[in-house]
Amino acid sequence: METNEINAGIKAAQINNALGFFILVFGCIVLFAMIYTETFIEHMTDMIAGLLLISIGGGMIWKARNTIKKLKAK
Amino acid sequence: MLAGIDYFIVIAYIIGMLLLGLYFKKFVNSSEDYFLGGKSLPFWAIGMSIVVSDIGALDFVGVSGQAYRYGISVGNFDWVGSVPAMLLAAFIFIPYFWRGGMYTIPEYLGRRYNQKVRTIASVTWILFFALDLGVLFWASAVLLNVLMGWPIWISIVSTAGVVGLYTYFGGITAVIMTDVVQFVIMFIGGFALVFLSLYEVGGWDNMVEKIATMGPEYRNHFDIIQPQNTKSPFPWTGILFGLTFVMANAYMIGNQSIVQRCLTAKNEWHAKASMIFGSALKMFIPILVLFPGLMAVVVHPGLADGDQALPLMIKSILPPGLVGLMFAAFFAGLMSSVDSLLNSTATLFTKDIYEPFIKKGADDKHYLKVGQITTLVLLVIGVATSPISSDFPGIYVAIQTFMSYFQGPIFSILLLGIFWKRSTEWGGLSALVIGIGFAVYLNVFKEQFFTIEDPFLYISWWSFLLGVIINISVSSLTKKHTAEQLQGLVFSSKILSKNKNL
Repeated sequence: METNEINAGIKAAQINNALGFFILVFGCIVLFAMIYTETFIEHMTDMIAGLLLISIGGGMIWKARNTIKKLKAK
Repeated sequence: MLAGIDYFIVIAYIIGMLLLGLYFKKFVNSSEDYFLGGKSLPFWAIGMSIVVSDIGALDFVGVSGQAYRYGISVGNFDWVGSVPAMLLAAFIFIPYFWRGGMYTIPEYLGRRYNQKVRTIASVTWILFFALDLGVLFWASAVLLNVLMGWPIWISIVSTAGVVGLYTYFGGITAVIMTDVVQFVIMFIGGFALVFLSLYEVGGWDNMVEKIATMGPEYRNHFDIIQPQNTKSPFPWTGILFGLTFVMANAYMIGNQSIVQRCLTAKNEWHAKASMIFGSALKMFIPILVLFPGLMAVVVHPGLADGDQALPLMIKSILPPGLVGLMFAAFFAGLMSSVDSLLNSTATLFTKDIYEPFIKKGADDKHYLKVGQITTLVLLVIGVATSPISSDFPGIYVAIQTFMSYFQGPIFSILLLGIFWKRSTEWGGLSALVIGIGFAVYLNVFKEQFFTIEDPFLYISWWSFLLGVIINISVSSLTKKHTAEQLQGLVFSSKILSKNKNL
């Protein structure tokens, strides 16, 4: 792998890491908002939406960190 | 006005966007980084960004409102009005722009025809984008004023401050990546809204049954194809000729803010894939935008202004937390439209006007600085002109009409430029000028030519057709280009392969 490709890969992973963190934080806020809901269906909607955001954000962070680790080792 | 947790979410979103955008500053070291993201972005991010920038907050509200008034036929704009055009762009047009190393669409037109065509096309886009900026700033301020209770001027300045800072520093990478976040939030919030709305109206069949019994004006609400004599602005003739053949292609192939995103891809495969992925995502947009509008017919019947349908549905149906998130996504939609305009206009000015006419051959850092300064100047113009929008309530519609003036003629010269080798520089120039003039004429005297109130689809079709006829006629009478001049600019079956030598 060329240095340019490695740098581009690290750049992409750093971007994904930042995006993942942002989405994860919002997932936590939506999950927290569950305490303000009144009905069961509202409760479940906030929970599913929050967990979805947390898994997307968490997944992006996990993938990005793995990529950075791999590329830096090269 | 929002309260509690939702208020907090909107504030956190705005601050988060600013910080995220500023983080991308570290990736901008050259003009290519600023205008094309260093050609390093992946297809999925670009695809999401294309969808988000196409469906901004104003469209989100507007399409829902039209679904409330006219039914599902408005979904044509995201299905036949987007998907075929995006596939055509992916397989035919994007490879030419990509392999030619271009920054702007007018740059292609300049190479294919001449400098005059490039300048006219570029100036037209710059004018359109600059006019649109003020309107979008005003719309953002009104949204913040309604949701948060902030005074209009504070709302305008804070929007300009946030968007301006991250676009100034982060360039197109910040523009695209902030769109990704917006896309994720918009889709999750949108699907939650559809699910809860369906629950509220008692399921799809129940909703169809209820709407059918509401009166004759709702009879065609579930017809995707409307008759030619319909009172809605979407007769099938306009949808087929004006939208599918002209406006959709012109928008997806000839719009700088869309195509520039594809040119940021890390390679040609990613550039094509971004459009294809975007077209797949586009098919979900009517579900997210149109269905809540339809369900509002049952939940909030008799609204005087259909554009209230979506905000009302969000407020009455979504739980706390998601209300704030959806309104934050609305605001982000407006920010996304503003940042796209800022960056695309800066690119057009720097590459098509400044570099060829004001300072040729300067070093790269100089052009990066020019791009950034242009962004700041546009920001000031946008803020200064935004109050004008409040004096002219129809200005948004007027600007969209202005877009239909030049979309048809520009697409006609792009299409013939690629597919007809005989098209000459004078053919292209005359088609562009006469086509735009004809579209203006048709709009001024529209009562004499059309029976529907807003014939923008027909105007774009007829101006496109005239552009094609003029181009063919004038080109047949003028000197044709040599084979060397057309190298890499006209259609060759090699474009469908991996062969880089066109």
